[in-house]
Amino acid sequence: MQAFTDLAFATLRLTTPIILAALAGLLSQQVGLINIALEGMMLAAAFAAVLGAFYAQHALVGVVAAVVTGMLVALVFAVFVLRFRANLIVAGLAANILALGGTGYLLQVLYQTRGAFAPPGLRGLGTVHIPGLSQIPILGPILDGHSPLVYVTWVLVILTSIFLNRTVTGLRVRAVGEQAEAAATVGIPVRRLQYGMLLAAGGLCGLAGAQMSLGNLQLFVYNMTNGRGFMALAAVFFGQAQPWPTTLGSVVFGFFDALQIRLQTTVGVPPQITQILPFLSIVVVLTWVSWRRYRGRPVAA
Amino acid sequence: MTRTVVRPQWVGELGRSFVTFSAALVIGALVMVATGRDAWGAYRTLFAVAFLGAQNLADTLLAATPLIFTGLATAVAFRAGVFNIGVEGALYLGAFAAAWIGFTLTGLPAGLLIPLAFLAAGLAGALFMLIPGALRAYLRVDEIVTTIMLNYVAISFTSYLVNYPYAVPGLANAMSPKIALAAQLPRLLPPSQLNLALIVVLLLVPLVHWLLSRTTLGYELRALGSNPIFARWSGVPVPAVILQVMLLSGFIGGLAGAGQVLGVNYRFVDNFSPGYGFDGITIALLGRNTALGSLIAAVLLGALRSGGATLELFVDIPKDLILILEATIIFFVTAEFVLTFPRRRHAGVH
Amino acid sequence: MAEAVPLVRMEEISKAFPGVLANDRITFEVADGEIHALVGENGAGKTTLMRILYGLERADAGRIYWSGRPVAIQSTEDAIHLGIGMVHQRFQLVPSLTAAESVTLGQEPRRGVFFDRARARAVVQELGARFGLAVNPGARIAELSVGEQQRVEILKLLYRQARLLVLDEPTTVLTPQEVAQLYEVLRRLVAEGRTVIFITHKLAEVLAASDRVTVLRRGCVVGTLPTREATGEGLARMIVGETMPAILARGGEPPGPPMLRLERVSAADDRGLPALVEITLEVRRGEILGIAGVEGNGQKELVEVATGVRRPTSGRFLLNGQDLTRADVAARRRAGLAVIPEDRYTEGLSLPMTIEDNLIATRYRALATRGVLRMVAVRAESAALMRRFDVRAPHPRVSARTLSGGNLQRVVVARELGGEPAALIAAHPTRGLDIAAARFVHQQLLEMRTRGGAVLLISADLDEIMALADRIGVLFAGRIVGELSAAAATREQLGLLMAGRSATA
Repeated sequence: MQAFTDLAFATLRLTTPIILAALAGLLSQQVGLINIALEGMMLAAAFAAVLGAFYAQHALVGVVAAVVTGMLVALVFAVFVLRFRANLIVAGLAANILALGGTGYLLQVLYQTRGAFAPPGLRGLGTVHIPGLSQIPILGPILDGHSPLVYVTWVLVILTSIFLNRTVTGLRVRAVGEQAEAAATVGIPVRRLQYGMLLAAGGLCGLAGAQMSLGNLQLFVYNMTNGRGFMALAAVFFGQAQPWPTTLGSVVFGFFDALQIRLQTTVGVPPQITQILPFLSIVVVLTWVSWRRYRGRPVAA
Repeated sequence: MTRTVVRPQWVGELGRSFVTFSAALVIGALVMVATGRDAWGAYRTLFAVAFLGAQNLADTLLAATPLIFTGLATAVAFRAGVFNIGVEGALYLGAFAAAWIGFTLTGLPAGLLIPLAFLAAGLAGALFMLIPGALRAYLRVDEIVTTIMLNYVAISFTSYLVNYPYAVPGLANAMSPKIALAAQLPRLLPPSQLNLALIVVLLLVPLVHWLLSRTTLGYELRALGSNPIFARWSGVPVPAVILQVMLLSGFIGGLAGAGQVLGVNYRFVDNFSPGYGFDGITIALLGRNTALGSLIAAVLLGALRSGGATLELFVDIPKDLILILEATIIFFVTAEFVLTFPRRRHAGVH
Repeated sequence: MAEAVPLVRMEEISKAFPGVLANDRITFEVADGEIHALVGENGAGKTTLMRILYGLERADAGRIYWSGRPVAIQSTEDAIHLGIGMVHQRFQLVPSLTAAESVTLGQEPRRGVFFDRARARAVVQELGARFGLAVNPGARIAELSVGEQQRVEILKLLYRQARLLVLDEPTTVLTPQEVAQLYEVLRRLVAEGRTVIFITHKLAEVLAASDRVTVLRRGCVVGTLPTREATGEGLARMIVGETMPAILARGGEPPGPPMLRLERVSAADDRGLPALVEITLEVRRGEILGIAGVEGNGQKELVEVATGVRRPTSGRFLLNGQDLTRADVAARRRAGLAVIPEDRYTEGLSLPMTIEDNLIATRYRALATRGVLRMVAVRAESAALMRRFDVRAPHPRVSARTLSGGNLQRVVVARELGGEPAALIAAHPTRGLDIAAARFVHQQLLEMRTRGGAVLLISADLDEIMALADRIGVLFAGRIVGELSAAAATREQLGLLMAGRSATA
C-alpha cells in the first residue's frame, strides 16, 4: 500500500512539468504550430527560476523570472517562424540549442560550474498542506503536500479546457489551427492569435521549468529537462491536442517516469524499456490515426 | 547574338550561407562582449586552434567526420522533400551494430572486420528507418513526428543493450566491451585521434554527389523534392522513392555511428552522441542539401566544435558559446529575410 | 425589369496575370434582386472577375459602382462592409466546429469572454427558417453533407448581412436533389430582397435558375441576355466561340488499327462521387479523337485515369491491345503513352529543376544503365530535343523557372512527343498560350497523327477540337453522350450534346 501511495505521489510530482509543457504544446498545436521548442523554453526557464529565487531570496520571484524567460524564448521562436517564415521544426531545434548553449554559457560565466548549480540558501517552492486533505483515506497522502505549482497545474488544465471550448478566443484559436485560411476569410487575425498562443506556451513552459528547478529539486542541472519537452510533445500528439486527453497522456508518461525508478529497484525491469514505451506509443497512435483517415483510399501510384 | 551570363544557382545559395555564418559570429561576439569576454581574441584563438597547425587541423577534421556523415544523411532526405529527423537514432543503432561486430567477430582480419562493421552499421541504420519510411510512404504518417519519437526509442534501446545484455561489469559508465584491435581504424596523424573514418566519409561525399546527380534514384528524389505532383505525373514511383531515400539516409546515419565507434571510442558508449544527428540538420541546411555543401558546412561546424574545447581552456570562454553560434546559424539559415507583407498563409511545416 | 440603377456595375475591368489577360475591359452589371448567372469555360475570367468584386484581387484598371456610387474595394473587409458575400468553390469551413460556431465565427455573439452558444444557435435557426436553409446548429461541419455545408456557407453570408451573394460553381459538389433545393434557396433569397450571382459552366443550371446570364470567353464579355431568351445551344456556342477555325492541313493516311482504348471505365472524383460512368473510347493509329464538352463533366478524371494517376473504379485501359489497367504511370509510359497534362506548371514541369532534367522526366530510366544515367546520352538527347522543338533557353542546365509560358509548353511537348510515342493524351494543350505557341502545339499534334500516332485531345476549346480532330466525342456528366465524325459535325449538334441533350432528339 505504501508502495502504491509513494508511486502515485511521485507520479503526480513528476507529471507536473510534463503537463505544463504539454499544455504549452497543445496551445501551439491549436493554432497550427508544432512546437519543438518546448524543451528549450523549459530549460531556459528552469535556469532563470533558480537565478530569480536566489537573488531575490524568494521563490515567487523565481517563478516570475521563469515565466518571463520562457516567454522570451517563445518570442524569438515566434518571430522567426511567423515573421521570417523560418521552418517550424528547424527553428524549434534551434531554440532548444540556444537554450542549452545559453544556460550552459551563463552557468560557467557566472558561477564557474558545468554541472549542477545549487546556490546556498536557494529557496524552493516548498510544499502546500491543504487542511483536511491528508485526512482522506488513500487519496489524502497522494494529493497532499505537493509544491503549489502542482495544484496550479490542474487548475490550468481546467482553465485551458474552458478557454478552448467555451470562450470566443478559444473558438477562434481552434479555427485558426484547423483551417487558418477559413479563419482569415472571416476576418480573424490569424497571425496575432499565433503570436499570442506561442507566448502563452512560453509562459506555461516557464512554470514547467520553475517546477523542475524549484519544485521537484532545488537546483539547476545542465540540460536538466533531458527530453521532457519532447515527452510533452508526444503527449500532445497522443491527446490530439485536446486538453484532457493530452493531460492523460502526460500522466501516463509521468507514471512511466515514476515507475521506471521503482521497477528498476524492485522488479528489475530495465528503465530503458519503460522509457521507450511513451515514444513508441506515439508512433502507434499516429499510424492508427492516419490509417483511419486514409482507409479505403488507395495511395495512387 | 546576345550572350546571356548564366550565374549558377549555387553562387547565390553560397552567398546566403556566408551571410548566415557571419551573422552568427556577430551575435556570438555580442554575447561575449556583454559577458565581459574578449570576442576578438576568442575568434582569433578559435581560428588558430581550428586551422593552424597539422594537429589542430586534424582535430577539426576529427570533429567534422561524424558531422559530414550526418549532414549527408540528412541532405539526401531533405533533397527529396522528406523531413527525416531520425538520423540521430540511426547513428546510435549503427554505432551499436558496428561495436557488436567489433567485439564479437574478433577472429577476423581487419580487412574483413572493418568493412563488415561499417556494413552492419549501415544496415542497422537503414532498418531503423524502415519503420518511419514505410509509414510515410504507404500510410502517409508524418515522418517528422515519428522520427523524433523513434530517436528516443533507439537511444533508450541501445542504452538498454549496454546496461544489461552487453554490460561490462566494473565500469562506471555503461558501455559495451572493447572492439578487437583489428576493428580499430588506423590513425591518420597521431597523436590526433583523426582516423580512417575521415577517408571513408570523404569518399562518400563524391559518391553521394554522384548519386544525386547521375543516378535514376538521384533524379527521382530531386524530382520528388522539387515538385511531388510533377514526379507522380512523370512516372516516378513516389512511395518507393520515399522509402528508398529513408533507407539511404538511415544507412549513412548508421555509418556515422560506426565511424565514431571504430575510430574514436572503440566501444559503444551509452549516450555517446552530443547530437551529431541533429547537427546533420544544420549542416544539410547550411550546405543547401548538396553533398559538397554539407562537407564544407560540416568542416566549419567541426572547427567550431574542436575550437570550442580549447576556447574554454585558454581564454576562459565556455564552449557552450559554440552552441549559441550554432543556434544562431540555424535560425538565420532557415529564415527568409525578405520584406514581405504579412501574407495570409498558414505557417506550416514545409 | 425596368432600367433601375444596377446594384453592381463593374466597368472596363482589366486584370493581367503573368502570361494571361484574365479580364479584358469587362463591363458587367447585376440588377437588384435578380439571379445572374456568369458562365464561361475555365480560364474565361469568371472567377477572377468575382475575386476582384470580393476584394481578393485588385483590378489593373476599371471602376466598380455599388448602387450607382463609385466604390474602392481594396480588401475582403471592404466588400463585406458593402454587403457582398462570396461562397468559394472550396468551402472555407472548419471541420470540427459546429454549424452555429461556423456561421458566427469572426462576429461571435458573446457573454463576456464566453461564446454565447444559445444565441448563436438561435440566430442560425432563425436565419435558416427565414431562407429555407435548415441545418442542425449543433452538428459539426465534418458530420454534415456537402449540401448542408454549403447552406452553412450561405448562412455565414446572411449572418453578415450580405445583400449580394456570389456563389462560385455552387452545384459542382451537389447531388441532383441538393441542386433542386439550392434553386429553391436562391428563389427565397431573392424573395427576401437579396441578389445572387452564380458562376457555373453547366447550361442546364443557367436555364433553370437564373434571370439573366452573362457569358465570358477568353477574358471578354461575349454577351448578356435575359435567360428566357437563351437556349442551351446558343449559350454553348457563345461559350466555346463562333470564330471559324483556321484550316489546318490534315490529309495523311486513313486511320489504322486501334491503339488506345478505354473500356467501360468508371471513376470517382476526389470526394468519392462518380465522375466517369462507363466510358468507352477508342483512338486508332493516325487519328485524333477530340473530347469536347463543358468543363467539369469528367475531363480531369478522364485524363488522370488514362495517365495512371487515378485508379478507375471499374473498366479497362488498353494500349496497343495490351491491358494496362493496373499498370502505373511509369509502365504506361514505357508502353508508349505520352501525356501533356492540363497544368503545365505543377503536373507538367518542375520549375526548380533544369530544362534538361525536365526534358528527361519520362525517359530517365531508358537513359540509364543499371540505375546510372548515361550523361552523354542525356546531354545529347536534351540538346536534340531543344533544337528540334525550338526551346529557346540560354542553356539546357538553367532552371526551368527562367522560361516563358510558351517555351515551357515547348519543353513539355518536346519531352512528350520527342520519343515518338504510340499514343498521346493532350489535355487543354494550348490553354494560356499565345497564338504562335498554340499554333506550334497544333502542328505537333498533327505531325504525330501523320506519323501514325493516336491522339486523345481533351479541350474546352471547340475551335481547337474542330480544327484538329478526326472524330469528336462529347463528354457530359461523366458519360460520352455522342460521337461524331469531324467532317459531319456541326456546332449546333455539338452544342446540343454539350448542353446534355441527345443529338437525335
